[in-house]
Amino acid sequence: MIALFAGSLLSVTLGVALVQSSLLLLITAATLDPPAGLGAAERMEFSDNVTAAVAMLGVILGIATFLAGFIISSTFAFTVAQRRRDFALLRLVGAGRGQVRMRLLREAVVLGGLGAAIGVPAGLVVMAAQAALMRRMGFVPAGFAGEWRPWILAVSFGTGIALSLAGAMVAAHRAARVLPLEALRETGAAARVMTATRWIAGLIFLGGALALIIVAPVGGPGGGAAMAMNVPMPAAIAAAALSPLIVPLLGRLLPTGSGVIGALARANLWDARRRSASVAAPLIVLVGLVVGTAAAGASFTDAGIGELQRQTRADLVVTATGPVGPAIAAVPGVASASTELSVPATVDVGDESFSVSALVVDPAAYARAHSVELAGLRGHAVAAGPGGEVPAKGSVRLALPDLDLGAVPVVASVPATISGGANLLLPPGLVPDRLLAAAPAQSFVTLAPGASAGTVRAALARIGTVATAGDWLRADATARSEVNNKIMVSVMGIGALYALIGVVNSIVIGAAARRREFAAARVGGLTRSQVLRAALVESSAVTVAGILLGGLAAAGALIAAARTTSAVTGTTTVTMPWTLIGAVCAVALLVTGTTSLITSWSATRPAPILLLAARE
Amino acid sequence: MTRADAAVTLSAISRVYGRGNAAVRAVDNVTLEFARGAWTAVMGPSGSGKSTLLHCAAGLERVDSGRVLLGDTDLTAARDRELTALRRTRIGFVFQSFNLIGSMTAAQNVALPLRLAGHRPSAGLVRDTLAAVGLADRAKHRPRELSGGQQQRVAIARAMITKPDVLFADEPTGALDSSAAAVVLDLLRTMASGGQSIVMVSHDPVAASRADAVVFLRDGRVVDRVAGADALEIAGRLASLA
Repeated sequence: MIALFAGSLLSVTLGVALVQSSLLLLITAATLDPPAGLGAAERMEFSDNVTAAVAMLGVILGIATFLAGFIISSTFAFTVAQRRRDFALLRLVGAGRGQVRMRLLREAVVLGGLGAAIGVPAGLVVMAAQAALMRRMGFVPAGFAGEWRPWILAVSFGTGIALSLAGAMVAAHRAARVLPLEALRETGAAARVMTATRWIAGLIFLGGALALIIVAPVGGPGGGAAMAMNVPMPAAIAAAALSPLIVPLLGRLLPTGSGVIGALARANLWDARRRSASVAAPLIVLVGLVVGTAAAGASFTDAGIGELQRQTRADLVVTATGPVGPAIAAVPGVASASTELSVPATVDVGDESFSVSALVVDPAAYARAHSVELAGLRGHAVAAGPGGEVPAKGSVRLALPDLDLGAVPVVASVPATISGGANLLLPPGLVPDRLLAAAPAQSFVTLAPGASAGTVRAALARIGTVATAGDWLRADATARSEVNNKIMVSVMGIGALYALIGVVNSIVIGAAARRREFAAARVGGLTRSQVLRAALVESSAVTVAGILLGGLAAAGALIAAARTTSAVTGTTTVTMPWTLIGAVCAVALLVTGTTSLITSWSATRPAPILLLAARE
Repeated sequence: MTRADAAVTLSAISRVYGRGNAAVRAVDNVTLEFARGAWTAVMGPSGSGKSTLLHCAAGLERVDSGRVLLGDTDLTAARDRELTALRRTRIGFVFQSFNLIGSMTAAQNVALPLRLAGHRPSAGLVRDTLAAVGLADRAKHRPRELSGGQQQRVAIARAMITKPDVLFADEPTGALDSSAAAVVLDLLRTMASGGQSIVMVSHDPVAASRADAVVFLRDGRVVDRVAGADALEIAGRLASLA
């Protein structure tokens, strides 16, 4: 009873803490003012970074809310299932269905309020950790820290109570339908696990996941990636909802050994489908979300890297500052060079205003260096760049730092790429020289036939930093992968920890009800260590089943990623983050194994006969 | 016996588990009246359907055919809401495994049915009810702090606080040692002599011998009945059924 209550409370507390922390960080970032004394260009860059941080925190908040809702409702459903006999007893002495339902909903309000009361201070600790993580990853400025807002108290209490109530709703409805007669059955009738609600939820979310997988390739580089990354959530919910069908089946297939221990573990897996499903559910979400998102992210990153390598036509890349184009072209042995100067800009399309990155290019040289068509870009006009987001025709209102260019026609466009890049390409002459003097410049240089690379390099080194195109692409690939990894850690890290705690929670709640079962097994002739081993085999089997089902959800994301990269770049790219997968599996097995050993060890401490004799 | 004398009337009730070849007629076309103000024991070998009969008579289990009347109230037609109301007011239960709520004290357990019915029983009533089963001094104890016999007496107090028309008891002494069982049987005897209708399932001839009448079941049918027999005779008749 205490374990059930503590388990539910923990899930609410951590859920509230995580949601509150993500929300406060999001609000803090969204209202961040640029430090005093920045130039116009720096202010634009600052607001660019803030926009990126806000977008990332929005995703973090979404995942936090999803996890909190999922883990709270699955914990509640489990605790209610464990208390079936109590509810039957209440019904037996005259409780109406409404009374059972109200009792559970009242409990949910109390748990939600209590969870929020602990979750609010806990949320401040989580916020410090999350902010430190984001600072470390470089997504927010060095001094960034979440700020307390008084109104968050109302939001957190509201979140706690609303999530608990929502989580308890289905469970309460179920509990209200318990038959009084169930109180009299010694072992408790194994309640039907695959309820109509489970079927409906499972099939709806499965449909959602399939729809995302089907539509993703049509979504282009940006939309397709976003859809693929979102597949794991509905897929994991579907897998968790349908898990009572699949976990015991997988349990039968798993080699749990042929002796009495294996037989006992297999029988338990089949008999306690409800408990197995409850342990597997947070695992499925953990594995599906972490592995699925990371694998899709890595696939898109690699697709971008491959795309860039195929499209870039250059021998050397020069990184410099300011309009160095003429100087580079003047170096003997340089056949052609596309010098691209990066300037921040703001674009208004319709009512929407957003900051973009713009490149001032020589259209002919740019087209050669990047294997694209870019005809007609000259004068007072712009082209939509590989970064997308800007309409490919019509006109946009364009403002540079301290210079409003007014409405400018979009006369050309290059295809949007997975690797991204500038949103706008500007012809020479549109941007005054004073704005270009300090602009970062990148030049893609092609050597004349017969020219000596060494000599040209030496001459170019006086203008800027020179690298071979191969080295530059490799460095770019490493940087892209690192950024992707950092994003994954920031977005998933703390949520994954929450899901892992949800797993432990389920095992502890499940073990609390097993003291008599263990005692019966020991009276039946098993030694204590045999009981512990059977429990360990059983929990490992459930873990493996959870990992497999989570892997199925992750595979959904990977299929969407494969289809999208193929549609956008022409090459199907699938990257498996094996290290991460190995680590997730190892941690899951270690944590469930340890927890199950500790809980069953403590549940078997009293002499078995004491447990069997004690009846309440 | 006329309808008005019967606390519970079973008319041709059957209860079948499973289907087709696997079907088991746990209760097979039983017609039986349990007299008002009397203690009737239902006996039979394991699997004779005596527990199912009790569950059907108490409205805990639906019958597949036939009718169950509690006084004049038809339980077969009653909806869940009506059955719930009946459990609060006119039916009391006592079971082999006590079935107290572990987190509540004895007094809270006893007060529970009335509180579920929306009443706030006075402390005096709860105390008196516990005193009637000899546990006036155990009101604040939780079930795990009580012996089996004491727990069963709390369960009887809980059943009796609503002054039910019928008390249904399923092996009430099955989990008790003989001296604790004797206390519980004395209690039931006193209640029955005071006019309480009791229907009890038991396989213990000693328990059944305290009842006013004994009905014997085999394979879901009533096969024998006896009134005022002693434990030895009851044991003999039971043995002849097996």
